[in-house]
Amino acid sequence: MVARALRDGGFHVIMGGMLTGQEIVRAAVDEDVDLVGLNVGGHVEVVVRVIGELRAARPDLPIFAGGVLPPSSCRRLSALGVETYPPGSSLEDIVEAARRLTSQASA
Amino acid sequence: MSSRSSSVVTSRSGIPLKAAYGPDDVPDSLRRHAGTLPGDAPYHRGGFPQGYRTKPWRIFQLSGFGNPEDENERIKFLLKHGETGFLMEHDRNTADHLYNVDHPDVQARREDVGQTGAVMQSVREVAICLDGIPIESTYGHAGGAVVQHAPFALAAYWTVARRRGIPLAELGGTGQSDFFLTYLGCVTKQQIPTAAGLRLNADIIEFCSRHAPKWVPVSIAGYNGGDTGLNAWQELGAVIANAIEYLDEVQRRGHLDMATAAYRVGGVNFRTTMDFFEDIAKLRAARKLWHDLLRDRYGITDERALRLRIHIVTAGSMMTYAQPFNNIVRGTMMALSAVLGGTQSLGVSGYDEAISIPSEHAHQMSVRIQQILQHETNIGAVTDPLGGSYYVEALTAEMAERATGFAAQIAAQGGFLATLDSGWLHARARDNQVAWQAAEEEGRQTVVGVTDFRDDHSPFEIDGFPGVNDAYEVARSRLEDVRRERHEVGAHAALKSLEQACRGTDNIMPKMLDALEAEVTLGEIGDVYRSVWGDWQTPELA
Repeated sequence: MVARALRDGGFHVIMGGMLTGQEIVRAAVDEDVDLVGLNVGGHVEVVVRVIGELRAARPDLPIFAGGVLPPSSCRRLSALGVETYPPGSSLEDIVEAARRLTSQASA
Repeated sequence: MSSRSSSVVTSRSGIPLKAAYGPDDVPDSLRRHAGTLPGDAPYHRGGFPQGYRTKPWRIFQLSGFGNPEDENERIKFLLKHGETGFLMEHDRNTADHLYNVDHPDVQARREDVGQTGAVMQSVREVAICLDGIPIESTYGHAGGAVVQHAPFALAAYWTVARRRGIPLAELGGTGQSDFFLTYLGCVTKQQIPTAAGLRLNADIIEFCSRHAPKWVPVSIAGYNGGDTGLNAWQELGAVIANAIEYLDEVQRRGHLDMATAAYRVGGVNFRTTMDFFEDIAKLRAARKLWHDLLRDRYGITDERALRLRIHIVTAGSMMTYAQPFNNIVRGTMMALSAVLGGTQSLGVSGYDEAISIPSEHAHQMSVRIQQILQHETNIGAVTDPLGGSYYVEALTAEMAERATGFAAQIAAQGGFLATLDSGWLHARARDNQVAWQAAEEEGRQTVVGVTDFRDDHSPFEIDGFPGVNDAYEVARSRLEDVRRERHEVGAHAALKSLEQACRGTDNIMPKMLDALEAEVTLGEIGDVYRSVWGDWQTPELA
């Protein structure tokens, strides 16, 4: 759904599916992406590790996250500079964030 | 669900609704049955005349997290507070893919391990999870929601029972082995192809019919289709199409009489949502369609088989992240819908569903909601209390008609498995999700606390249930124990024998039981499956 909204918003979206952290980093580097969206379905510390690996490979790459994110997990990710979109977030807001994050990065 | 547009009011699935209904709105197809009572064919009014008077619905909550000890403790907690059956969840990182915990993909997300259930790689861990739980007298769900995991989950549970001296012939319970979850809901990597999955389910159905007559072998879970996006009549139509696939396969194999097979398969699951009456109609229509299918397609006359038994889980997707206390009301409404629809068992999703796995308190509330309905409202005194309502009867007929049409569409494309393989069913679900999301974002569908009424004065934050931190390490060490302590030659022989059964046509369940007795582990079984059947090709969605 999010991917579709982003495509409708003019983005080229590469859907990863169920990837490991290493696979996400590899895809981000190989495809030279402008933004990574992480769909969180489990423990936030897995995501924190993936963010660390992504930053090591592509330090300026913007990252945002959605999915099942309790408030404390949102705070944990925000502290790392990752915007969060928990359930109930509007697709419009997500597309808007994608525009903002990619234009800031390229500016 | 309320629609803000005054011109056309529809149900959630798009059925146009009138402002009031009268006798002319009930079509002939149901008016013919106007004089029937609950317990009479075609059973839309209920399978059993005494309804909840003689058999209250089973309070049946999904549960599981952490280490097997934590899961055991939570199951005991729920049973102590009035749950009347239990469902044990296996850790999905390992179970869904048949990986041991040291598989690279599991290691890559090790903090996730134990978030969705306890890791159970061998009978030892299942035994810990069931420790002190009287499975001889308590209806249990062994897990095995994903098709390829079911034979392991069932055999492990049965092995624990056998070691306690409980004959399999006397053991009551169920598994799931659901195609909707496996191939539609959570399309993940490394699942066996659908045809191999069908073979496993047919093996389970035949094995249980011979050796475990009190066990519900597989449970078609319309819920997982519904919460993926199928609307009410699509969910029902797809469940019927799924049942046809199972029963045709059993018929083709020719080992079982069809009435026995249909009785085994006739415990299915649906979801109820926030469209209160639509889902009541769905359950009433489901019983009628089940009866009609068995009578017309398979010539079954055995009344026991013709009566569909229903388990309901209230829709997790209806539970909002914002203002989670509101979800207690949503859970209550969806539970009420299930009860008025005549369900045999019920799980109410936790009020923290959108935030995390259920906390103890959320779990307790799910049980309390059901107890209040059972004990305080007098709602179970009369069976099918809405029978004869012009609106509910008309909606039931409409639901049956649309579901039949959807099942026919699936049949026209080669059947249920074909629509999973091609991605056709996925596209239907996706289209609905997009439409529903648009309805919310464009102001046509209100969700309290989300689209409107967003001020929240909750006195404290619900931050979700964190689970435990050591499930990965504990599971690693238990796996090493098994590898060190088991009889290697025996384990390898049992695994080889299981592989031969998979490659041939013999029922795999006896070999699976032997393998688990020999302490063969989950990941080794997965490797056998992968070498025999390979992986399902996930459909590309247009």
